[in-house]
Formats: sequence, structure tokens, C-alpha cells
Amino acid sequence: MIKTDVIIIGGGATGTGIARDLALRGIGHCLLEKKDFAAGATGACHGLLHSGGRYAVNDPEAAQECISENQILRKIGKKCVEFTEGLFLRLPGDTVEYRDKFLESCYSTGISTELYSASRTLELVPNLNPALLEAVKVPDCSIDPFRLCMLNAESSESRGGTILIHHKVIEIIKEKGVCVGVKAEDQFSGEMKEIRAKVIINASGAWGSQVARMSGSDVPMSLSKGSLVIANHRLTNMVINRLRPASNGDIIVPNETVSLAGTTSIHVQDPDNLSISHEEIGLISREASQMIPEFDSVRLIRSYTGVRPLLKGGSGDDRAISRGFKIIDHKNGMFSIMGGKLTTYRLMAEKMTDRIMEHFGINEPCTTAEKPLEGQDDLSGYPLSKRLKKLDDIICECELVSRKEVERVIDKVGTKFIGDIQHRTRLGMGPCQGGFCTYRALGLMQEKGKVTSDESIRVLKEFLNRRYRGIRPVLWGDQMREEQLVEGIYLGILGLAE
Amino acid sequence: MKATYEHCIRCTICVENCPVFKVNPDYPGPKQAGPDAMRFRIHSEDKVDKWISLCTQCRRCEQVCPYDVKPASLILESQIAYVKKNGAVPTQVMFSNFHFISHLASFFAPVANFATSLGIVKKMMKLIGLRDDIPFPKFSFNTMQRKKIKPVKGIRKAAFFHGCYLNANAPDTGRNIVKLMQDLGVEIIVPEQVCCGLPALGNGNEKKASSFARKNAAVFAEKVAEGYDILYSCTSCGHSLIHSFPEQAGTQGKIVADNSWNIYEYLEKLIEEEQITLRQQDVKKTISYHVPCHLKGTGKPYPFLNLFKTLPGIEIHAIDDNCCGFSGSYGFKKKNRDTTDKLGRIAVNALLEPQPEVIISDCGACRMQIENFTDVQVCDPVEILRESLK
Amino acid sequence: MKYDIVIIGGGMAGLVSSIYLSKKGYKTALVSKGDPICCISSGCIDLLKTDDNPLENIGNLPEVHPYRRAGKENVKKSFVYFKEMMEEAGLPYYGEEETNRTIFSPIAKKRETALVPMSMKEADIRNGESLHIISFKGIKDFFPGYFTDKFSNSKCSVYNDAGKTTISIATQFDNSDFRERFFNWIGDLNISEDKIAVPAILGTKNPEYIMAEIESRTGKKIFEIPTLPPSIPGLRLFRTMKAHAVKHGVDLFWGDAISEYKEDKNRISSLIINKPGRPTIIEGKSFILATGSFVSGGLFAEKTDVRETVFNLPVSIPEEEERLNSNFFNPGHPIGKAGIRTFENYKPKDSKLENLFIAGSILENSQIMKYQCGHGLALVTGLEAAVNCEEYLK
Repeated sequence: MIKTDVIIIGGGATGTGIARDLALRGIGHCLLEKKDFAAGATGACHGLLHSGGRYAVNDPEAAQECISENQILRKIGKKCVEFTEGLFLRLPGDTVEYRDKFLESCYSTGISTELYSASRTLELVPNLNPALLEAVKVPDCSIDPFRLCMLNAESSESRGGTILIHHKVIEIIKEKGVCVGVKAEDQFSGEMKEIRAKVIINASGAWGSQVARMSGSDVPMSLSKGSLVIANHRLTNMVINRLRPASNGDIIVPNETVSLAGTTSIHVQDPDNLSISHEEIGLISREASQMIPEFDSVRLIRSYTGVRPLLKGGSGDDRAISRGFKIIDHKNGMFSIMGGKLTTYRLMAEKMTDRIMEHFGINEPCTTAEKPLEGQDDLSGYPLSKRLKKLDDIICECELVSRKEVERVIDKVGTKFIGDIQHRTRLGMGPCQGGFCTYRALGLMQEKGKVTSDESIRVLKEFLNRRYRGIRPVLWGDQMREEQLVEGIYLGILGLAE
Repeated sequence: MKATYEHCIRCTICVENCPVFKVNPDYPGPKQAGPDAMRFRIHSEDKVDKWISLCTQCRRCEQVCPYDVKPASLILESQIAYVKKNGAVPTQVMFSNFHFISHLASFFAPVANFATSLGIVKKMMKLIGLRDDIPFPKFSFNTMQRKKIKPVKGIRKAAFFHGCYLNANAPDTGRNIVKLMQDLGVEIIVPEQVCCGLPALGNGNEKKASSFARKNAAVFAEKVAEGYDILYSCTSCGHSLIHSFPEQAGTQGKIVADNSWNIYEYLEKLIEEEQITLRQQDVKKTISYHVPCHLKGTGKPYPFLNLFKTLPGIEIHAIDDNCCGFSGSYGFKKKNRDTTDKLGRIAVNALLEPQPEVIISDCGACRMQIENFTDVQVCDPVEILRESLK
Repeated sequence: MKYDIVIIGGGMAGLVSSIYLSKKGYKTALVSKGDPICCISSGCIDLLKTDDNPLENIGNLPEVHPYRRAGKENVKKSFVYFKEMMEEAGLPYYGEEETNRTIFSPIAKKRETALVPMSMKEADIRNGESLHIISFKGIKDFFPGYFTDKFSNSKCSVYNDAGKTTISIATQFDNSDFRERFFNWIGDLNISEDKIAVPAILGTKNPEYIMAEIESRTGKKIFEIPTLPPSIPGLRLFRTMKAHAVKHGVDLFWGDAISEYKEDKNRISSLIINKPGRPTIIEGKSFILATGSFVSGGLFAEKTDVRETVFNLPVSIPEEEERLNSNFFNPGHPIGKAGIRTFENYKPKDSKLENLFIAGSILENSQIMKYQCGHGLALVTGLEAAVNCEEYLK
């Protein structure tokens, strides 16, 4: 049995952010995540470090939080952030009134802007829609959510925190009506673990009400599914937005070697069992090609989807810190933190941790805004072309992941899941989506004795099916060819057909 | 160009066929050097790596790719970008200006030839990055430009593009080609010309290559207007004339490309149009034909072989599986020694299998390389043609 | 030059039909925009996935499957022709059409196939023979652990002095000095297990002599295990067939896609390849289209439609709503049925073109992955189309 002060349920940005904050303030804690880091909305978003421009006109408070956190994260998470800057394009049909409102609102919320002519904009990003009228530059950036979570978790572990990924909370233990701990199942071994703590934080995002109900409370949530597609190469080196009221499909973000475009918003009931419809793909392609015409014919390598954990308006308990997120005290030893966005995760974690410190009656200020995330030196950075220098022993050739990197992850994390390697190194995230490297990574895991030969085949199949779910909605053109080749390799040469 | 790498599905067929990849572990192969790397190079900071020069530009990858990806062209772009960013090294400067060196060396021919075999000169060559363990080609004072054969009226008019090698290193062979064409009834002239530009392009000097192309295109386009066809024998020059000139020399370049013929292709055409007939004499020989990479790259049946379909008696084994490893200036460079030697050995072993009396190849560089590995006679195909015709 | 037959697509179907027709005296051209998928395949010829007699089981396939039209007799004839052809070409194949044989996949899974190259003949382990696995230090796509883990009575030895990729090691095996060093090493191992298994890298040509030498030094039989691409057995198969085609007078036009074609009164008259310089024009009396499925580029999947890439022939698409099943490992994806509809004589049903024949995986309802019949189908329909083409020419 594990005894600690705080249990955190949920290993997304919020959960791991809280873990780090607690660790820095010296509070013992244990984080439980049923899958890998960022398995929920954190890993399924745009990967956009907002400048706040998108919210400036309609929600200045949220915009202010964004710009403030944007500046902080640039400082503390240098290797997680690509300083791309962003543009808000005004296309024919987008009004001058909105542009003026936009510039005003940005000014009053502290978001620095620069107005560019069409020709200057096209110089910066040559393949934008030539019919564009003008653009506003903002300090948007691209951020890697997996790295963020990982580094937060490492901070926690290095200070004695316990991080248990692939552990699903099955039961919340209550004694005399108060939550005193949880029972969690190790998803690989099936072993049941008991963890006891003084307080539980529900940071499980879209699964918030499911977890809350385990403690006998509820969090009224409105689940909104958002899908995105990944294009094979960097169509742009800057984040591209639309200078009009925020809508679907109007963001394109460069991320490492690919571009992410989206998103949609469709109400769902179940945060699991999500699928992506042809209509969604169609909508995203249409909107994106308005901004970058080439998008219509570009090769899409994958689509993915996640659920926004939105709160149903006006919930019972209050301590509403901001309209963006809410902290709820269930008054039974459990707190829930709901809503929010990736950009403001650190602020959410700070507020939640402040609340916990209050609860414990300890006076210890937050330092996460000042202290840079540790462990960043190990990570490969930008520019991307730096990675072409040495091409020795490459496991994933699409994304230039070396054998050393993969072995390091396998040794460090002791993992049996290919996804774990993928999130930490971009293995299998390129055009072939793991066509070759998956087999190699598994071979390495098998060599290192992490999996038996039979287990590794099981893991391989699980990974391939998961990957396939993301590819299926965009299977045409080059990607269909790719898929037939991968099919030929795994079903044909490796003999894995059922 | 950027769009083509999108089609790459990582089938590795190009890798299976890359000569450098199979013998040099430092070269990551055309897939990684081309389409894979392009996804990392679109980033605003343009950075290319040293290993990019290991590609010989044999273009086999482009020929075997089933998806219209052009790895060699992507790599060439990167090679040029590397030189632009890092400056040319001495060997690159030397080979970009091979045209002038060729002129100079041929002018001082006997002295130049003697000098290149001197120990001290070899030491200097080694210092600037050249190999000192293979013979440097010999130059002749009587270049094709200096000693021309008087043209004779014929059924067709043709202007011959000889290229640097035939001009200064094997002018007798070049003149034999001219004589042969004349004997077959073609009025053939040798206009003023400069290097085709391929050595400059291959050594990162796009500007120089274009300037050579423009000079040549001006001369030869005019000849086309006067009713001349353009003929070439060196398959690498042919590759330049057809693939590079349109881009480098505009409309005139395109005129050259549209009117350039491999000499044997030309003869084939004349035979088909019944303008000439080949009469054969009784010659029996076993020949191995090393097909140069640039000839294989034309994607068509080899015209020299087609001529011999109608002339029995000569047994020709055409071997096009192997790049000889020399690849023009590539083989002279010290840093490529290992790769060039390994590939040369593989190519020559295959050529020697049929136990030939003669080994032929259209490309001067290939001939040089083959001679480094065997004592069997090596010559230009035109010699065989001349021998077998009355 | 005017050819009797122009075959489009240099894969198994195209190569086999070109050899057949050229040997019969027809002036044959083979056009291919690149190398085919068979050069990265395992090198084995699958007839049909089944636990018992593949030839007999053809009768159990759906009526629309191309094998059914060909019929048992012709399937057998084609396979026999292939074996004879490969024997003549210098890369013999073994196997019977009436029973499948076993080979190993790189993850130590057993796989069934009909014909194997000589280098995989001994892979058919039926009596629990023990294996000695030979691996190479740092080799990229081979993990002997899969085998030693699965077969408890097996052992592994690693050779330290070779390259790291299949193609570089195979090139080394082409060199006599390297071979001698390797033979000495393997002889000194004093292998006690029943058979030796090695990833498929024993040289880029027929490994007969290398294997014989290893067998004589060790006293044990050896077999190769096919690998991920670059695949040496696939390379050997393809290059041997290609050289054989050239030897028998087939003219190759290799490396560029066909840009357009000219037709005259419902007869294709020529194919045009637009290149820098002058276009290449290939004239022919009859044509065989063997360009393969999506992976080879014969078919192209648009967002809602499927296109045939040379003649823009109408493509029959399965009626099911989803092109693909939700499970990657279920090989019966509906899209596998997409292809060109043809008459009994392999001419396309939905086109007026009279002198065109269709062969290989571009045929409708081939469902290659589901039935595991890739090379077999190409080979059979290639010969069938050739025979029908021959009829047409007479």
C-alpha cells in the first residue's frame, strides 16, 4: 500500500502540472493515469501555445491568462516550445470591424501585435492564399504537450513523487463519508494497488464526472469532441489563424515535421469510443484550404480526436477562479479541477495547489512560473535540420529517431507499450506511421527482455490497430498506397493476418 | 520539386538499388538523403550535411522508384545548397572549372602528362583532396577543337557535341566517331563548344553550369535553325543536354534538348528511315558492354545493341546492373576511394564473367575506371562498330 | 518500332507474360515506371491460403475471383510453367500446387506458401528440429530473439564482421574473400543443432553455392528467413525474371510513367512517354495492362472514387460503404475487391478498347491479402492474358 498526502487522478497537462507544483512545494503525492501521459484532451489538441488572440474579443479575461502563461511557458519550457509566432489572416469576407476590435482587444489585454500587408505576409509564409488582404502577427507558438507532461512528471519523481501511468482507478475508498484513498489496477500486470492519501484531486478531464461519481459526487460536464488532421509536411512555419470570430477548422499549427489542422466541435456523451466522420475531415480540409490552398491536395497522414472537458454552465459550487476553469470542492476529501486549456495548465495547477495548501494550512508559495522545467537538456531541439547531422543507427527513418534514444526510453520507462516510446521520441509519427519502426522498436524491447516474443506480437498488433484507427478516415491517395504497403509487410511478410 | 517527396511511401526500392548504400555504411541511402531529409529541411534554417556529397548522382533511384519521387534531384538540390552555404573545397573548384583545366593541360600536353605522373605533383594532388593512386587521364595537344576533320556533304547534317573527355583526352576516338558518321553519309561538323556543365553541377556550382549551358545552347540552337541535328556520344553530356539545358538555357536550351541524339540512336533512326544501310564484315568477338548509368537512365532499349541485332557474329553481353563507381569527378576524390574501388571491383567482376575479349562503354569515366581493374582491352563502342562494318 | 505486344507493368504478371510471348516469337516490349512490388516481397509464390490442398480449394473461392475463371487446370499449368522458367533462368523454385509448405516470418511465425526459392526449401520444419540461428552484429531488421524465445531448443551465434543492412551484407556475400572468412567462422562454430537459419542475406544472386559450402563445412542444412524490405529474395526473384526477359528478346522501357496514349477506332495504337527531349513513342498491335493495385500505382484512390492510372478505365468499386474494415488485421478489406472488370478473355468489360488485356492484381475481386494469393494470381492471370492476347494476334 502506498501512503501519501495527495492523490492526483489524471496524467494530462493539469494532473502532471499539479504533481510538479506539489513537488516543488514539498508535498508528497501520487499521480494515477490509466493510459500514458496526455491520453486525453492534452494529447489530442492543436499543440498550440495560445497568445490569447483567439479569445481577445469575446473573453478578455481568458485572453489575459493566455498571454501571461504564454510568456511564462516560453521561459520555463524552452525545449517544449517552438517559437513560431502566429498570424491571423484576414481573407475576403472577413470584416475590417472585427480586425479593429481584434487589435484593440489585444492591446488592452497585453498581447503584442503587428499588422502586416498582404505582400509582407506572403513573404513570411509563401503558400498562403494569395487573395489574403492582410494579417496580424501575434506571439502564438507551437508546443509539445507530451514533452510538457513528461517533464512535469520527471520533476515530481525527482523530488519523491510517485507517478503511476497505465494504472486505472477502479474504486475510491471512503471511510465515514470521506475519501481516503483509491484502488488502482496495473493495466499490464493486472495487479491491484491501494493508495491512501489525505486528499484526492480529480484532474481527469473528460472523465471528470465518471471519477467524481466514484466518490459519490458529480461534476456536470458537457463533452465536446474535436478532431484534427495531420498533414505530411510543414506547410507553414508560423501558426495560422483566421481573423474572424472563432469557428471550426480555422487553425493550422506547424509541429515538428508535420502540420496540424482543425478543429471541430461535436457534442458527445462518451469520452471513450470516439470516431471521426468523413464530414469532419471534409470540414477541416475546406477551412484549411481557405488559408493555405495547397491543403486541399496535401497528403494527410493521420487524423485524431479528443474530448474537451467543458463544464456545464453555472455549476453549484463556486470558487470560480476564472471562466476558463473551475475548482470544485466536493467537501468529501476530493476536489475536481475542470475545464481550462493547455496554454493555462500551469496556472490551473497553481490555483489548485494553492487550494490544497490552504486545505492543509501550509504557507508555501508557488515557484513553477520561475523555475525552468528540469530534464530539458536531454531532449533534441530545433532547428529540425540539426538532426540530419548524424544518421547512424536510425530506428524510425521518417522522424530520425535513433536506436540510442529508443533504448534510453525503454530502459528508463521500462515500458511494454509502443505508444510510450512514440510519445517520447516521435517514433512512428511520420508519413509511414510506424510502418517499419514499430517492428524495430518491438525487436529492441524483446532484445532487452522487456517482452517475450508472444507478448511483443500482441503489443505490435495493439499498436497497429490503434494507429490504423487514426489513419482510416484519411485513407486516399498516397496514404492508401502507404497502407497497402504496410499491410503487405505486416500481414504478408510478418504473417500476422487473422 | 518539393511536392515529389510527398509521394514517398518508404518502400525502400530506391535503397535496394543504390550503389553507394550497398558498399558505404556512412551513406544513409537515397530515401533518407532525399524524401526523408526534405521534411526536416523545410525549416527556415537551411542546413545540409556533409554526407550529402556521397551520392554519385547515378540516378538509379529515380529510375526504379514506382511513385515519381526524384531522390537524386532532391539530393542534388541539397548538394548545391551545401556548397552555397559552406563554400567549395579545392576539388570542387577544380572540377567545376574542368573545361579550363582541360584546355590548359592539352595546350601543354606532353609536359602536363609527364607532370601528373611525378611524385611531387601526386603529393600536391593528395593535398588538395585528389587520389594519387590512380592514373590521371592523359591529355592530347590535338584536341577535337584544334584538329578537325573536313565535313563532307551527306544525306543529313549533324553537329557533334563531343564533351571535354573526347575533346582533350580521347580526341582520336572522337575523330573516329566523326569519320564513321561521315562514311555512313552524314555531313558532320564540330562547332565551337565548351563543357556541358555536368562536372560544375555535380560539384555544387549551378551558376557555372548554367553559363556553360547558355554558351553551348547559343551555338547549337543556331545550328539547329540551319538544319543540323545534334549528336552526342558521351552519355553524361547527353544527359546534360537533354535534362539540364532546358532549365539552364531557356528556349535555346530546349531547342538543344529536343534535337539531341545519341549517335547510335541516330543511326537507328536513319536505318529505320532507310536512309542508310549497314553492311557488315565477318567479325567474331565476345564483348562485355558496361552500360553507363546515364545511358540506362534514358529508360529505353540501348541503341548500340539494337544496331547489332542486325549484325550477327558479335556476341555482346550488356551489363547494366552496376554503377562503375567512378561517376565523373567523384572517383578522383580521395575521400571516395573506398566506395569507388568497391563498386569498381563489383562492376568489373561482372563484366569479366562472360570472358570477353573486349570491354566497351560509351562513357569515358567508366572506361578509365574499368581499366584500373583489368588488363582486358577497354574501348569506346564506336571502335567495334567501325571494325564490323565494311 | 512497332511491337506485336506492349506490356505495361514490370511486375510478376508483366514479366511472366512478356517472357512467354517473346519466347513464342512475338516482338514484345515491357514498359514500367519503376521497379515492382515483387522486388521487396518475400520471394515466395503464394497460391492460396489454406490448411489443405490449395489447388482443390480454388473451387471454394467466390465465383468472381480470377482464379475461378482460370480454373484448376490452368492454375496448375501456370505454376509448372513458372517453375520451368525459373529453372532455366537460374533461380529454381520448389513446391507443389497441392500442398502448401512452411517458411518462417521474421518474427518466428510460421507462414504457408506454395513455391519457395531453393534457399527456403529447408524451412519446412515439421518434426521439432532444433535450430541454430545465425545473426549479424547490429543488423537492422532481424531480431534472433524472436526465434530463441519461441524455440527453446535453439541457439544463436552472431557474426561480428559484416554490414548492418540486408543489402550491404548480401553485397559482401558476393565477394569471395568475405565468403571464405564467413565459411571459416561458421565451420568453427561446431553447430550441433539440426538446422541452421539465417536472415535472407546470402548474396544477391542464387545462393546455391554459398549454401552448399556452408552445408559441407557444418554438415547441417541451412535455410533463409525472409526480411522486411529491402528484401533480398524478392530482389533475386525480380532481377532473375527481368534478366530472363531481356535474354529472350523483350525490349525494356523502364523508369517513366506513360503520359498519354493514342487510339484509332477503339484500338490502342501507341503509348507516349513525355520526357525531356523527345517523347518516347511505343507502338503496338496489342497491349496488356498489368500495373497492379494501389501500392504499385495501377489504381489510385481519390477521396471518393478510384481511378485507373494509365487508360482511365472505369474501376469497379465494392458496394460496401466503408472501404476498409475497422480491424487492421482482418485482411478482407472491401477495397481489396476494387479493380477492372473483364470478360472471359481478359479484355476490359467497361471499355471499347479491343486490343487491351488485363492481368494481375488490378483485376477486380482479386482480394490478395484475404486469400493470400499475390504472386500466384499475378502469374496465373499474366499467362492467361498472354494466351488470350496471342489468340487475338493470330
